[in-house]
Amino acid sequence: MLEGVLIYGFINSVLLVLVAMGFNLTFGISGVANFAYGALYIMAGFLCWGLLNSLGLPYWLAVAVSVAAIALLAGLLFRFVLLRVRGLVISEVIATFGVGLAILELFRYWGFIGFEYTLPVWLDASFDIGETVVDGQRLIMVAVGAGLTLFLWFFTRHSRIGRAFRGIAQDERTALTLGINADLTAAFAVAFGAGYAAMAALVILPLGTIAVNEGYNVLVNALAVCIVGGLGSTMGVIVAGFLIGYAQIFTATYGETHWMMIVSLAALLVILLVKPSGLFGKQKELEERI
Amino acid sequence: MFQVSNLMVFYENALAVNELSLEVAEGQMVGIIGSNSAGKTTLLNTLSGLILDIQLKERRKGGEHITVLGTITYQGRDISLMPAYVRAREGIVLCRERHPVFGDSTVMENLRIAGYLKNRAQIKRGIDLAMELFPALKALTRRKAGLMSGGEQQMLAIGMALMVEPKLLFLDEPLLGLSPAMQQKVMDAVKKALKMANTTIVIAEQFARPILPVIHKGYVIENGMLTMTGTGEELMANPEIKSAYFGI
Repeated sequence: MLEGVLIYGFINSVLLVLVAMGFNLTFGISGVANFAYGALYIMAGFLCWGLLNSLGLPYWLAVAVSVAAIALLAGLLFRFVLLRVRGLVISEVIATFGVGLAILELFRYWGFIGFEYTLPVWLDASFDIGETVVDGQRLIMVAVGAGLTLFLWFFTRHSRIGRAFRGIAQDERTALTLGINADLTAAFAVAFGAGYAAMAALVILPLGTIAVNEGYNVLVNALAVCIVGGLGSTMGVIVAGFLIGYAQIFTATYGETHWMMIVSLAALLVILLVKPSGLFGKQKELEERI
Repeated sequence: MFQVSNLMVFYENALAVNELSLEVAEGQMVGIIGSNSAGKTTLLNTLSGLILDIQLKERRKGGEHITVLGTITYQGRDISLMPAYVRAREGIVLCRERHPVFGDSTVMENLRIAGYLKNRAQIKRGIDLAMELFPALKALTRRKAGLMSGGEQQMLAIGMALMVEPKLLFLDEPLLGLSPAMQQKVMDAVKKALKMANTTIVIAEQFARPILPVIHKGYVIENGMLTMTGTGEELMANPEIKSAYFGI
């Protein structure tokens, strides 16, 4: 029993980290709000589904095309929506949230609801870990999560564009005087984060159906993990992902399953009361000290 | 190499820079001396192109209406409408006032972010130059920039601006809030940078005393208007400057 809880807690934690990574990249590290995140996540699922079932593309090609298309779409979202309100954080949040809402509700309106909207699993096998049975898809998800996290950690520290992300998040004007094209960098951050969302969607969605409501949950979970961990900190996302991930599984196992939804929101509230900068927060740490 | 003619900047109806013309020759150190609210920062923001971004952001949020008139010429080209980040690529770099560093990043990260336009070898050279000009930074490479003293942050800010390998470097009040000893240190490093980094420097300051002895040419501005021009010695000998800035 406990072994199963620990293993599934681990998997659930990686899932949360995976979901939050792209959001962390855009909102945390680069300081650009993209609250259409959950909608883009779901859209990636439907797009891949369409490519598989309508066009009959091979699975790997459908995945690659979906990720690229979602990243591109997010780039366009930046160019035509975000750019107009860039610099006004509240407006950025409202505008992108509105777009996300529109996308998700359009899917619902068009009737994209039902059990036929599923993606095939990548690996149809199951493995025994001790006495617990774990399916192949979940193991793939853990591997992809670890890979994407490592890549992001490396990318934001050691690549030119990754450093530009940090620059524009902290002081856009100084970044401009150093020759960093802030708008282009921000567009790139949004597209990159959306690409991460799409990749997360395509490894996670085969575990269940592609449901419109999941888009809202993804956004809430991503937001909770990023804020509990501290905006901008990759390490924070990992730690917070594991905290909330295990807390959810423990709640579901030893409490009631329906309380699981509340865990991330409760964590969000507690951290905002106790330490608003988050566990590993860098962004607001200086202001809190003073 | 750099000319400004009839520059005027308005914030709504308030005139911040008035019919200002100046010229900077290659390899020189030029001073812009003026008290608080004389228009120094507005002038440098305009010369570096940052005002275009400020103007845009103000318009977006329905804030102040900023108007810029006049022409800025750099190496024979009109760059009046060139965005700040493009000017930086052309070698015109501004080090903003109040030591603008990326507070959440370490000193080393700051220098690397500043090396955005440069390749690996150039970044290494730039970091070496910063450490040579400001040996105090050597012990602080892993320190979070926002937690350093004002003087240390100023040293880092100048080091960051030099990472871009500027042909023309604007320093906005680099001595603001520094102790006299630290002011001297920063000025020594700026003098060294002029030679070592092979750059041209325009320095805006209200503290005339450490500046006037080192500049080739100085412009004194008051209320956005040019009131006096001359070499450093000429300005130091001027009785009005003496009474206004040296209290003699």
